[in-house]
Amino acid sequence: MKVLVLIAGVVAAVVLFLLATASGETTLLAQHYPLLLGLNATLALLFAVLVSYQLAVMVRRYRARVFGTRLMLRLLTRFAALAVLPGIIVYAVSVQFITRSIESWFDVKVDAALEGGISLGQQVIDQMTVDLQSKARAMAQELADRSQPQAVAQLERLRAQAGVQEAVLVTASGRPLATASEDTSTLVPDLPAPQALRQARANRGFAVVDSTAGRPLSLRVIVPVAASGFGGEERFLQLRSSVPPNFAGSAEAVEAAYRDYRELSLAREELRSIYIVTLSFALLLALFVAVAVAVTQSRLLADPIATLAQAMQAVTRGDFSRQAEVTSRDELGVLTESFNSMTRQLEEARRVVETNRAALEGANARLENILAHLSAGVLVFDHDRRLAITNHGASAIAGEELEDFAQRMREQFEQHGGKAWQTELQLRTTGKTVHARGAPLPHATGGGYVVAFDDVTQLIQAQRATAWAEVARRMAHEIRNPLTPIQLSAERLEMKLAEHLSREDAETLHRSTATIVNQVAALKAMVDDFANYARLPRPELMQLDLNALVDDVLELYQHSRVPIAKRLDAALPPVWADGAQIRQVIHNLVQNAQDSLDNVAAEPRPAAGAAPSIEVRTELVGDRARLAVSDNGGGFPEELMARIFEPYVTTKPRGTGLGLAMVKKIVDEHQGSVAIENRPSRGASVSVLLPLAKAA
Amino acid sequence: MRRLAVLTGLLILFSVCAARADGIEVGEVRLRGADDGLVLDADFAFELTPRLADVVANGVPIYFRVEFEMTRPRWYWFDEKAASKRLQLRLSYHALSRQYRLSSGLLQQTFATLEEALNVLRRLRSWPVVERAAALSDADHKVALRMRLDTALLPRPFQLSALTSRELHLESEWKRFNVRPKALPVAER
Repeated sequence: MKVLVLIAGVVAAVVLFLLATASGETTLLAQHYPLLLGLNATLALLFAVLVSYQLAVMVRRYRARVFGTRLMLRLLTRFAALAVLPGIIVYAVSVQFITRSIESWFDVKVDAALEGGISLGQQVIDQMTVDLQSKARAMAQELADRSQPQAVAQLERLRAQAGVQEAVLVTASGRPLATASEDTSTLVPDLPAPQALRQARANRGFAVVDSTAGRPLSLRVIVPVAASGFGGEERFLQLRSSVPPNFAGSAEAVEAAYRDYRELSLAREELRSIYIVTLSFALLLALFVAVAVAVTQSRLLADPIATLAQAMQAVTRGDFSRQAEVTSRDELGVLTESFNSMTRQLEEARRVVETNRAALEGANARLENILAHLSAGVLVFDHDRRLAITNHGASAIAGEELEDFAQRMREQFEQHGGKAWQTELQLRTTGKTVHARGAPLPHATGGGYVVAFDDVTQLIQAQRATAWAEVARRMAHEIRNPLTPIQLSAERLEMKLAEHLSREDAETLHRSTATIVNQVAALKAMVDDFANYARLPRPELMQLDLNALVDDVLELYQHSRVPIAKRLDAALPPVWADGAQIRQVIHNLVQNAQDSLDNVAAEPRPAAGAAPSIEVRTELVGDRARLAVSDNGGGFPEELMARIFEPYVTTKPRGTGLGLAMVKKIVDEHQGSVAIENRPSRGASVSVLLPLAKAA
Repeated sequence: MRRLAVLTGLLILFSVCAARADGIEVGEVRLRGADDGLVLDADFAFELTPRLADVVANGVPIYFRVEFEMTRPRWYWFDEKAASKRLQLRLSYHALSRQYRLSSGLLQQTFATLEEALNVLRRLRSWPVVERAAALSDADHKVALRMRLDTALLPRPFQLSALTSRELHLESEWKRFNVRPKALPVAER
């Protein structure tokens, strides 16, 4: 398209130049004027087609809302206006100028002068003709009186006298009778035409201007010569005289100027048309070329922008793969290049962000996973102390009390004013001991608070148990050793001194010694108990029929003061336990119950209407076997409930307080649990949960 | 669109017909032998348009062109061109001597009035069109003759209006007839 426009433009320029030249003076091109005119018209038409095609294409693209067309159209309009407006102005001015100029050529004065010049020439010629005529008549007068031979002889003289160039005497039929010429070289005279003779005869004279092209202007006069005497033949005299060369030249010049002037004057309309047509063609071609070039140029400018815009739209949609093509090395090219590099950077940045996000998500998932599988409870509060995150461990530890627990945590934060703290507290429902640590989260991560807490009930109990085992072991070791020497010394004292003393004194010694020995024995028993507690062997776990064991143990209590009821679950599967130790447990529990009932019996006012009774029960609870020993005695004092399993915690007047501690220790060793409760009516119940033997 | 085209076509047709009606009528044409060749006598009938008369009266020369074609038809090939002649006649007005001039080549005649000059122009006499009649074959020949105003020789400004205006157009149609050169009468001397 560009090449086409270029070629067409060059051709238009050439043809236009030729047309302009033809409109000027050159005669060569003037002959081909119509051809050139046609050529220009064809070219203009061609351009019109070309331009309308371009415009049509553009309009179609505009209608189809092809991106960039709007810009292109605007550029085109600007370019075209830039070319068209000055063109039209120059055209208008030129047309106006030419019209005025052509009109200004035709001045009335010049017209009158030229007319006057011609008229002057005509008058001079007329005057000369009249002169010549009068000379001719004078000559004819003179010749008329002469005879023929005389006339012939006189002619040359008369001619010289009159000062004419040539004189010829002819007969009526045109035959020359005599001739006289200034120019002797021309032998043959210029004879008058028969028609001229006829006119001369009819009008008694004839005058004509000979204006043969290429020859000097000359006058010719023919007059009849009266016949000499009667019956004489009629004759004619012709005089010829050249117009003076100076005058002839001037007159011809005026004539030529007049002719040219008249020609121009006649053709002024046409002349104007020619110039206007040429100018119009120039304008048309220039306009078309301008518009065609504008279209091409605007496309040249708009295309890269459109490409850029398309690429930008692609980027907006998130497609970074589109790279705009760099077509030029100007600012537009630089822009395109920068856009491309920007796109690449964007893509790079997006990839980095993507990677980071994936990493973050991974980390989050990992964190959540860790939180979920953490046995410790974790609570996260936001900056308004609203509960934001709880993990599985928190629900497991706090259970239904979680909300209440969270509230207590909030209070802790309020107390500590946003500083880190740690505390131990007990859950209200389950009585679990919980160790909680709170810390504010840094502001940079949005603030808030985090609490991590753990169920330390077991830990505390284990610590206590370990401490007591140590105490028991020491006591056994430190106290037992001196007991035997004490006992032996007392017995030796009795033996040595008994025979040396009086009977009363011997009796006193004997009683005292017996007391020492008994008390040492009691002390020994107690120390043994402690030793047993401290050195409880590892249970040898095996399948054990709990019901059979209970039966076996209760056999020993058949004759006790308080009846013992048995409610055994016959379908109880075997438990996984050490028989000897569980036997100890049952003994301890039943003795405890008996002791409790004994205490009640010892009270001054026994509870009315309630016969003391003990019930031993076994049953299946979930995947555990339950052994419960209940009584209707005094129950446990509330203040002791939390520490009831510790050694030396007892309600009995006698006893080491090791019974329940022992139970607890054994059950713990069995991976079981012990729970005590005061029954709502009266008395207490102790339940032991033991794991079942695994199905082999 | 189609209606417009039809209208334009009709208009062009009418204008062409009108131009023909205003043009030159070729009257009697005679071809006769003279010496060795053939000469042509022809009568034309036309009047100058007012515009042309104005042009002439203002001293601008106008040119008439008489064209003669003689061809021998051949059924097997293009027609043979036997003879072809052009005659250029110049009509002008000489303001100084107030005379109309009619010239053809070196030959020049002057007339006091335009009508006299035109009368001579209308009557073409003894125009030698074929130098050697003997060279012509003894067969029917086609003869074509026309006369027209040579607008290409008008001054340039008039050429433009000659393209568009009918006022500067004067043209006859081709007058065609068949002739046997050998059978033509020979003028006695």
